[in-house]
Amino acid sequence: MIKNKYDAIVVGAGMSGGWASKEFCEQGFKTLLLERGPNVVHLKDYPTTNMQPWEFKHRGRLTSKDMEENPIASRCYAFREDAKHFFVKDKEHKYGQTKPFDWIRGYQVGGKSIMWARQVQRWSKYDFEGPERDGFAVEWPINYNDLNDWYTYVEKFVGVSGNKDGLDTLPDGDFLKPWDTNIVEEYFTKIIKKNYNDRHVIYGRCAHLTENKPIFLKQGRGLCMGRNICQRGCPYGGYFNVNSTLIPWAMKTGNLDLKPNSVVHSILYDESKQKATGVRVIDSKTKESKDYFANVIFITASTLNTNLILLNSKSNRFPNGFGNDNDLLGKYIAFHNYRGTISAQYEGFPDFTTKGKKPTSHYIPRFRNVHKQETNFLRGYAAGFGATPLRETIRNGLGEDLKKQLLNTHETGVWNVGSHMMGETIPKITNQVTLDSEKVDQWGIPQLNIDVDYDENDEKMLKDFFDEFSEMYSKAGFINIKTNDNNRIPGNDIHEMGGVRMGKDPKTSLLNRWNQLHNCKNVYVTDGACMTSTSTQNPSLTFMAISARAANHAIQELKKSNL
Amino acid sequence: MNRRIALKHVGLIAAGLVLTPYGCNIESEVIYSNLPMLKKTEQQTIGYLSNIILPEDVINFPTMESRQEFVLTMVNDCYGKSKIKRFSKGFEMISSELKDIKLEKIPLNEQISFVEKSYLLKNSSSFFIETLKKYSLLHFESSENYMIDYLNFEFIPGRYLGSVSI
Repeated sequence: MIKNKYDAIVVGAGMSGGWASKEFCEQGFKTLLLERGPNVVHLKDYPTTNMQPWEFKHRGRLTSKDMEENPIASRCYAFREDAKHFFVKDKEHKYGQTKPFDWIRGYQVGGKSIMWARQVQRWSKYDFEGPERDGFAVEWPINYNDLNDWYTYVEKFVGVSGNKDGLDTLPDGDFLKPWDTNIVEEYFTKIIKKNYNDRHVIYGRCAHLTENKPIFLKQGRGLCMGRNICQRGCPYGGYFNVNSTLIPWAMKTGNLDLKPNSVVHSILYDESKQKATGVRVIDSKTKESKDYFANVIFITASTLNTNLILLNSKSNRFPNGFGNDNDLLGKYIAFHNYRGTISAQYEGFPDFTTKGKKPTSHYIPRFRNVHKQETNFLRGYAAGFGATPLRETIRNGLGEDLKKQLLNTHETGVWNVGSHMMGETIPKITNQVTLDSEKVDQWGIPQLNIDVDYDENDEKMLKDFFDEFSEMYSKAGFINIKTNDNNRIPGNDIHEMGGVRMGKDPKTSLLNRWNQLHNCKNVYVTDGACMTSTSTQNPSLTFMAISARAANHAIQELKKSNL
Repeated sequence: MNRRIALKHVGLIAAGLVLTPYGCNIESEVIYSNLPMLKKTEQQTIGYLSNIILPEDVINFPTMESRQEFVLTMVNDCYGKSKIKRFSKGFEMISSELKDIKLEKIPLNEQISFVEKSYLLKNSSSFFIETLKKYSLLHFESSENYMIDYLNFEFIPGRYLGSVSI
């Protein structure tokens, strides 16, 4: 018997790797799940989860040391005193930037699923058809119908709160009941419906439990309590993260071997068998190297690290990186354009307010260029919409006068409203990642160089967002409308995708319709790296659906001894 | 916050106030790594000035730490080098003004006028006062009772109601 041999190896214990592991383990396959970071055990390893705001030494603020040592990570909205321990520290994990790129990472079991924004929307047929219709990237080898059942499969396990909206631009799923809509969200929904045929304001579907179901009880999860501090990890398991669901689920089968602190160096390839045989792993603490073997290998190390592992897996057969016969590996990286925000106020409903908190806001699916090309830019953007009562606290003066003013804090009857754009960017060959020829990390693995930027299409789309939303806000009677280009650096959206794209033709893509490398069928890539285009939706749900689908394909192939 | 700790804190301070002459600060000396030049008496002056700006109310709005401790911790930990320099220069300027004035001996309205005057100078001393005000406000506004009683903060709301009539 070969030492360190498994049925399947999964690299990366984030959402994609979590799903692949669950599927393999559930169906009786011995699975090794490798994670470069430490373990994070649900409940046990959420050190700040029950801390009140006044218990934080800096009341949630970052220290100057945090800022100096993490100029990149500290630009992420969730990198704050309560959750910074879940983020990769810039100083410890360097990378090159030909152009500025914020690479926000979470190296631990659970990956970024601990701190994610939990917004989950399905792609529509219009999204999969985009590249072919508009002539960019390559044609997707799958369409909405290929994923429909897998979306449902994932939603049932994850728990998604949402409304059945009946939109073909954002297909409905298997939803739990939504949180309440506030009076201004409801008003804006009606105004947009009255004024536009093509625009819809809907409840933002989110991965939070709003109903008890046997599947969630089996997972040991309870209802979301609306604390809105999910990035710390939830003591109720109220939102979906890998740590409270997929990992313990897979563990229970007895088939999972989880090895944290295992940095994957490269994929091992056997030329005689024309197959991958395993992976080379470096212990992140001892720096000892060890090889593990399996019949099938899933690379789900997060988009850019997946690219890195493949680029670093060189052999006689693959001198330019694993599966990289067409020299396209690492190219056509794309992301989401989050640069545009708009804010305003509304003076209607002065006699109403809200109580409690909810973990989502409203959502406006893409309405530009859906059925045909109609603007001077390709594709379009989705947007959020939120409304909150405006509180006024005057802080003038000193002494008792100042204190009196603070004690007179009150709601004004005015509502603050705001939206942010989520624009599709077009994958380009020039947006790419490569390995540095000299610099290596502390495990001797070459550093990644990232060369990714906006283009003219993104600028035009940004302007359109400002114009259209200013008009929509005006029609709603909102006042003090202000648009803002926040100049967000690419990557800060934390939706980087591509580099190992799916496609029909091995000459122009790396992966086939089942996420297998065209030229090494027992290696699958199912995280963001596989994405041919990005659409506008938050991508995690699609990564999970693709991973579950691909894992079940691999299982069938293993059963047939095809891998 | 653990109520027992809060009550203990209140008790200790109340007892201290009885036993300590007016104006005498009971804070022990702490070495702040980025403000190493600050002596205990100077730290107390900063605490005193912060309390003129926004009086601490340990009975109604108890906090985990004293105002002095909080303000100095925030400056020490959250300000970068250039801000620390400006803050320190501002404090020097105020300190030299205070050489001829015994702040705790003059009436409260004159104490407030002194702080106001320093704030209006638009130099490092105004930055210094601005800093004390910023962190005093944060300290007060993030206290448990203020957040719960005045900002309607709920740690575990368990619900969201979107249309509540006032």
